[in-house]
Amino acid sequence: MEAPATRPTYDTGEPCAHCGLPVGPRPVEEAGEAFCCSACALVRGALREAGFAETVDRLRPLAATGGNARPVAPDPLGVRELDTERFLEEHTAPLDGGLREADLVLDGVHCAACVWVVERLPFEMDGVTEARLDLPRGRVRLAFDPERVALSSVADWLSRFGYALRPTRGDRQSGRSEAEHQLLVRTGVAWALAGNVMLLAFALYSGLDAAGGPFAAAAKWASFALAIPAVVYGGAPFFQRAWASMGMAWRARDPRRLHLDTPIALGVLVGFGHSAWATVTGRGDVWFDSVAVLIAALLTARYVQLRSRRLAGDASERLLALLPAMARRVTDDSSTEAVRLDELTRGDVVEVSAGEAVPVDGTVAEGESRVDNAVLTGESRPIPVTAGASVAAGATNLTAPLRVRVEAAGEDSRVGRLLAWVREAEGGRAPVMLWADRLGGVFVLAVFALAALTAAIWLVVDPSQIGLHVAALLVITCPCALGMATPLAFAVAAGRAARAGVFVKSDAATQALTEIDTVVLDKTGTLTEGAMRLVAHFGSDDALEAAAALEAHVAHPIASALTHAVPNARGEVTRVEAVNGAGIRGLVDGREVLVGRPDWIATETGSTAPAHLDAFVHDTVAAGHTPVAVACDGAWATILSVGDALRRDAHDLIATLRDEGKSVRVLSGDHPETVARLAETLGIPEADALGGVTPEEKQAIVQELQEAGHRVMVVGDGVNDAAALRQSDVGVAVGGGSTASLVAADVFLTQPGLAPVLRAMATGRTAVRTVRRALAVSLAYNALGAAAAVGGLVTPLVAAIAMPVSSLLVVTIALTQRVPGVDAPASPVPSATAPRSVPSPTPSLA
Amino acid sequence: MNVLYFLVPLAVLLAACGVAAFRWAVRDGQFDDTETPALRILLDDTDD
Repeated sequence: MEAPATRPTYDTGEPCAHCGLPVGPRPVEEAGEAFCCSACALVRGALREAGFAETVDRLRPLAATGGNARPVAPDPLGVRELDTERFLEEHTAPLDGGLREADLVLDGVHCAACVWVVERLPFEMDGVTEARLDLPRGRVRLAFDPERVALSSVADWLSRFGYALRPTRGDRQSGRSEAEHQLLVRTGVAWALAGNVMLLAFALYSGLDAAGGPFAAAAKWASFALAIPAVVYGGAPFFQRAWASMGMAWRARDPRRLHLDTPIALGVLVGFGHSAWATVTGRGDVWFDSVAVLIAALLTARYVQLRSRRLAGDASERLLALLPAMARRVTDDSSTEAVRLDELTRGDVVEVSAGEAVPVDGTVAEGESRVDNAVLTGESRPIPVTAGASVAAGATNLTAPLRVRVEAAGEDSRVGRLLAWVREAEGGRAPVMLWADRLGGVFVLAVFALAALTAAIWLVVDPSQIGLHVAALLVITCPCALGMATPLAFAVAAGRAARAGVFVKSDAATQALTEIDTVVLDKTGTLTEGAMRLVAHFGSDDALEAAAALEAHVAHPIASALTHAVPNARGEVTRVEAVNGAGIRGLVDGREVLVGRPDWIATETGSTAPAHLDAFVHDTVAAGHTPVAVACDGAWATILSVGDALRRDAHDLIATLRDEGKSVRVLSGDHPETVARLAETLGIPEADALGGVTPEEKQAIVQELQEAGHRVMVVGDGVNDAAALRQSDVGVAVGGGSTASLVAADVFLTQPGLAPVLRAMATGRTAVRTVRRALAVSLAYNALGAAAAVGGLVTPLVAAIAMPVSSLLVVTIALTQRVPGVDAPASPVPSATAPRSVPSPTPSLA
Repeated sequence: MNVLYFLVPLAVLLAACGVAAFRWAVRDGQFDDTETPALRILLDDTDD
């Protein structure tokens, strides 16, 4: 929801004239063109002067226009937090010479030009010594002198270019990058060791081993020495997880609980142990090269997976940065001071400007306004409030400033409790085990059975070779390809989906997306736009334009609906007078124009509505929308129907879900009548569309469905959906949803509309299909390998060739997956990055 | 051929140097952002 005051002259999806990305809600205009940021406008100007503008235009089709960057309006109050003592203490680190270093979220950065602008900070602002932008993650690292420059003024400077600087919260970031560093070092070390072992193995395979002698023995001993750190240091993560899963399987008395890491650890251990014994005794084969390469390859797959998870992790963290932490407290002398939310106590009075979210639960002490509870309750119509009315944290104050007496703040407010529950539930949720992992137990059993078979066969044929062939079997069947298939396929799918505006937080969610049979949809903000829009009008178009021109001068939900519908209304407005609760009157191009409630217009014009307009008023009311009348020069001119309009793709979504055989339900907090009418429009049976549902009831209904054996997907956007999203098998938060819903969901969409929901499901299906295909290939390889090993055909050389080939095959399958509707047909310039900015949820707690 | 007894450990030592350099680069955060530095090279050096 954009603040009513800002009115885009251009559609937010309009491509920037320079870089081609969407311009966002606050485009920069220059020479009749719209730009996403001042930097692009500058560059474009320079190119034009140098005579390159045409060349650039010709090249433009080559540039991929991906991404979904739109700057979030800087929140003047939130920025104040950057200057508080506590923020400096908690979130910045001291450097030499009294400097401090801060790692902050920066939204709205798109391209190379943005890097240039942001990194010019040290030359533009006294006191900033260094600025480094991390473009793909949208983070900026600043070194500054807190004595000489305030972070809020840095934020102000950046906001001039359309970048929103926001405080980071939580320290999970550092922990995550530390784990990533560790895994990367481990992978690098494993590959270095594997490379050297392979060099020695080449010598052994090409004749040294057959020749024997001191060189062969030395080469084996050297391989042994190199393989020790590869197994102990490189293989440690596999041994740890295998050990843990063995403990779990033992406690549950169920070998199927064994994780895929168990057979991996087994293969590595047996291969290494057998080779070590062969080296020491001087008899038998060594497998050091296969073991070392296996570990390195598996670590690489894990690293790729971790890195792709980072995208979703970063994005959730930016969501936390949106939670408001500041409020304006009214002091004794009636001025206001910015304080942190946790410093507020009961009885304090805070000021809430129009367009801001209410930070606390409380009662209105002063002022008269309308508040939008859509995010909290699902009610689509704003509610008028006056002194004494109670307001809840998370609601948006729409029209006029309010002073609110605090009753509960932070964790004590209703929203706070809900958020706390969501956070708590995060840890306690039953983990969905990927079925690829479930293969582990079966695999171990199969391998043991085969080992017994091999031993039995060779007992008959040649007892002296039993050890040799059992070791060969265990090494060749080590599920290297199997271990890489799942992480790689999911990682690639997650990266692709992120570029298409779909963020999936876990692999389990990707899998669950393909298993659902019931879809529960929220109404306000999910199926509908979640804001007042002009649905229809009846009568003169001129009057509509005049009304829009007039309404552009006031802040009111109906006014923003009109200015949204007619963004560039012509007409010179010379006088505006708002009549509270009734309408607005003014002079447009010298004509007297009235816009307001039909009964007010009737009194003002002294005439009732003409029959055809009156019929339309009735239709509008019957459809659950609000009728607004326009009169020009004292005569009824047109009737506008204003309401929360259905999203354009709602019909498509429901039809597609139906075609796939899923049952579709609507649960909403809005009035049952409104919900019933909407269900009728969408063709959903009345019994499946419930209105007036509280957040707690939503969760209970989802739970009931699950207990009845359904796999439920919830699609929602509000705080009132957070509990249901968390309860469901897959929670999907739609673009522009509230922060709480985005935090609670497993999947969140950064593009507006409902089409990405289908895209997310397509991505899930492709990923799961790819995993299956890769698993089938690697299982086939393992079956072949096992057969060869039982027959005594596997030598170290065969293993050294067969194992990497099977892994490569799996990697190729994972990398070449194509998702219908997500992967554009071969874009010439790969847009390599992922999240440039977060969804743009309501910049509020909500 | 006996020179191998010297050359192989030397090769391993060189590899160890490479690993050490890699470890330093990772800790230094050089692999954290693999995209922005590529763009940074397009920008002018400080003009003041």
